[in-house]
Amino acid sequence: MGTLVDIRSVSCYTEAGRPLFEDATLTLSSGERALIIAPLASGKSVLIRMLAGLTTPDKGTVRVFGEEIAALTKEELNKLRQRIGFVFHDSVLISNLKVIENVALPLMYHRGSISFEEAMQEAARLIEGTGFRGDLWGLPGMLPLYAKKEIALARALILKPEIIVCENLWDGLTDTEKRSLSLLLLKYQESSPASLLVFTALNDADAALVKPGRVIRIDGSRITEEPRA
Amino acid sequence: MDTLKRLGRALLERARVLFELWKIVFYTAESVLFRFNLGRKATLDVLLKQVYFTAFEAIPIISWIALIIGLIIVTQALSILPRLGGEGLIGEILVWVLIRELGPVFASVIVIARSGTAMASELGLMKSSNEVSALEVMGIDPMHYLVAPRVLGAMISVFVLTFYFETISILGGYILAGFGKNIAFSVFVDSIMQAMGFIEVSVSLLKSLLFGLIIGTVSSYYGLRVKKSITEIPQATTKAVIGSLRLVFVTDAVITILFFI
Repeated sequence: MGTLVDIRSVSCYTEAGRPLFEDATLTLSSGERALIIAPLASGKSVLIRMLAGLTTPDKGTVRVFGEEIAALTKEELNKLRQRIGFVFHDSVLISNLKVIENVALPLMYHRGSISFEEAMQEAARLIEGTGFRGDLWGLPGMLPLYAKKEIALARALILKPEIIVCENLWDGLTDTEKRSLSLLLLKYQESSPASLLVFTALNDADAALVKPGRVIRIDGSRITEEPRA
Repeated sequence: MDTLKRLGRALLERARVLFELWKIVFYTAESVLFRFNLGRKATLDVLLKQVYFTAFEAIPIISWIALIIGLIIVTQALSILPRLGGEGLIGEILVWVLIRELGPVFASVIVIARSGTAMASELGLMKSSNEVSALEVMGIDPMHYLVAPRVLGAMISVFVLTFYFETISILGGYILAGFGKNIAFSVFVDSIMQAMGFIEVSVSLLKSLLFGLIIGTVSSYYGLRVKKSITEIPQATTKAVIGSLRLVFVTDAVITILFFI
């Protein structure tokens, strides 16, 4: 199994100098399903932003697909980002695009050869797969939280990513919705060689929904891994 | 000493803003010239929407303002010219005032009021609600997808609206001149065509393109300067309006001096 994510000896501090991570190391191999449990304000978002190349650590290196993120040009970074599907905790959708356009956007932007109709068909297929029952051609602003998460997940999957990174996926959802969304993730991950990295602040019972192969905890400023069962 | 320090700081801040504006102009030119095929369908969609909202939807307001301005200018001209024995100069007056100056300036002021504000607040909202970051993690360069089509759209829109404004205001002028003073349409048009040379059309065209560039760039810049709070959006919008107006008028004065002195 190749290493997809290699966060090595990373230290990161807040503006006030409080350590978020000190000498933290984390790896993720191809096809793995890892769950990262961390309390609120413990640096989950910073870690995800580092994976996305939106921020760089104060010390240490972050390698994704073997590439050191900090050394990449803007174009190289944009290419690398296409191989990762991110679902953020606030499921940010582009407010002036219709629901279906939100999902089709990465395809329309990055795949010049695909026609508008094909992009829309693929987006509709993915949205349908999530069980979304809203208006595909409506704006996403008034959608309920669960529907927003469904759309954000469909958008993250449209470029067939090799890594799926989810942040606080279950926040604000009912138990049924949590189960449905987790099943969707598992279904995609099992039908593809993608690795799954789920960040959560929830308890272990909820965390078990994605049947993680590895459970990693951010505790204080350290990253520790639970022994595998 | 304190005054000098404050002045120095203010000048540095102005220079920094100008540098940031140049960067947006550079990114836009680079996107249009060298990255035309990247995300073409998605960016074309943004461009078309921008032109639709900025140019097409502004037609009603531009129409009646242009008609009224045409009427006002002809009324003023016809009240003064006979006393000076220059009734035949009506065409020149319209060309000098409307085509050289008021066409591009009025079109720009209307675009700033309608679309510059919309552009700054829309981008500000996108920035504060993390939509810009969401684009980045999809591998979509916000400068290429959000800013370049808006700047280009503003240029196309001001260009089109300037010519539309000039045509309608001249027609407005004729309504008064023709019906009120019994001037034949052919005489009126002849007088305008004689006064209108290559330089008038070129300067009008140049001004409209530059003003569109300024509006798109300044509005995008202030919109994207919003950080996390939505309370910054009204401030960004105000700064976009003031900044655009200031640069449009300065550029107008510079071009007028360069070409007509």
